[in-house]
Amino acid sequence: MSVTNVLRDGGYIQNAEELTGPFGAALAEGKLIVQRCLDCSALIMYPKYRCPTCFSGNLGWHQVSGAGTLATFTILRYGPPSSFDVEAPYCIGIVKLDEGPQLMCRMHPGSDGTWDHYVCEQRVNFVPADAAEVAERPAAWFSAALG
Amino acid sequence: MTDVWTPPYPEPGSANDAAFIGIGEIPSGVYRERGFMAQIVEASARAIQDARLAHTDIDQIVLIPCLHGIPDQADLIFSRVAEELGLHGRVKSSVMVHSGGSTSDNATRMAAGLIASGQARNVLVVYSERWGSADLQAMIDMLSVNGIPKEWEAPTGLQFNAIGGLITQRYMHRSGSSAAEMAAICVALRDWANLNPNAMYYEKKLTVEKIVNSKMISDPIHAFECPFLADGAGAFVMTSATEAARKHDAWVRIGGSGGCVSHYSAGQDADLGVLGWVKAAEEAYQAASWGPEDADLGEVYDSYAAVLAIALEGLAISPEGEAAREFHKGRFSPGGQFPLNTNGGLLSAGHTGVGGGTALLIEGVRQLLHRAGPDRQVPNAQRCIVGGTGGSYMDAQIMMLERVTR
Ligand SMILES: [Zn+2]
Repeated sequence: MSVTNVLRDGGYIQNAEELTGPFGAALAEGKLIVQRCLDCSALIMYPKYRCPTCFSGNLGWHQVSGAGTLATFTILRYGPPSSFDVEAPYCIGIVKLDEGPQLMCRMHPGSDGTWDHYVCEQRVNFVPADAAEVAERPAAWFSAALG
Repeated sequence: MTDVWTPPYPEPGSANDAAFIGIGEIPSGVYRERGFMAQIVEASARAIQDARLAHTDIDQIVLIPCLHGIPDQADLIFSRVAEELGLHGRVKSSVMVHSGGSTSDNATRMAAGLIASGQARNVLVVYSERWGSADLQAMIDMLSVNGIPKEWEAPTGLQFNAIGGLITQRYMHRSGSSAAEMAAICVALRDWANLNPNAMYYEKKLTVEKIVNSKMISDPIHAFECPFLADGAGAFVMTSATEAARKHDAWVRIGGSGGCVSHYSAGQDADLGVLGWVKAAEEAYQAASWGPEDADLGEVYDSYAAVLAIALEGLAISPEGEAAREFHKGRFSPGGQFPLNTNGGLLSAGHTGVGGGTALLIEGVRQLLHRAGPDRQVPNAQRCIVGGTGGSYMDAQIMMLERVTR
């Protein structure tokens, strides 16, 4: 590390890249992680500069199982943002992880190519998108749990 | 355990109790020939006239932001309105208040606070929006950036109709409401709009069949359940009870208010089928010492049908899970037991951005001033519950409005 990179006032998360980078890096490796407070052990999504529970700045990461329930979902059929380089329709969901935190995510279609099989409160699992997709759009993807 | 704090609200009848004394509005819809500043000046002039004041009586301007473009918003911030109204060199300050769709409530709180504390005598609050004439894709793009965290939710392709879809899916699951019952919400609002000459859809009818047969935009939301972006402007004038009594026999006061910021990211709200209404309502009803059973009408933010249904249940105007079915039975329609969103709401008067909530607030004041005209005036309206919510329904803000007579 060069001397110029050492900040005189350091010891805390300095910017959004530092805060969010590890999440995208883990996704690229096919892993789902959430932030963890190293003082009170709270699991935190989305990652914060300070723990929302105890206000500690002593924060790390925790790999979750990827199992959760689908709180809600929608299939956007018209009018995606023009910056979003995906053709409609596509499915967005909110998943509550078994470990507690929840997150906005993308939902894989079923074998029939549709999302008709999803219902609120059903069990879902983290199934990472391919590396190219994650590099382009760092979102967690989920599928219906088997059985 | 936190300390319980009971705020010292001004008593009814106290000299510096804040009072709504005038409103002004121009029609909502697509009006390409109408300019942003022209709309502001006209709405302001109407409100000042309605308040029986001269423009020079205004000593404080509170501006509600526009979302259609940064340059016009900059004109608001940098006091162009003061100059356009001939109030430069006269007003103490011109300032913008912004919390998205709940701005109307927060601007009201701020104006009331300035009056109650003696910082201002006559406050003009005004909005102007040009969403109807703006480029649609540009507005969709704006609505996929504002209120959506770029690091966490933009990568999923989220935009506002999708947020509406997520909330509606959750609400329908929680309540067991059918597509026809959800559609009945939009139809009731349209029936009200058909009584309001200022509404975007004053002359167009809407039916449940038409809605459920329209194409799916963001499941389970159909095309005719999406808000229609509109141009529009409105204004109101607030003063103290002392000043109000000099020229008016009746005015409107704030019996109390409540609020709760429940989240920023839609994905982080504890339950998108509930939002922040329960906590806000508890605070508002305690402050006002009256509740939904005492209200004559309501004006509650309705950018999507489910957003309104959730609010009505959180406000205890409807039993839990029953709001959409109550709409279907006609409880909130013209002629129903509980008049609601009597201007047609955002969904049928037109979604004028941040102004949509302000239009509802203005309608509430209009009803309590008994100036809503023969077609839609709620007979002898005395109390109105106003509800607003901003961003990705990040907050629930409630104003308990009361009619006061001299
Ligand atoms: Zn902590």
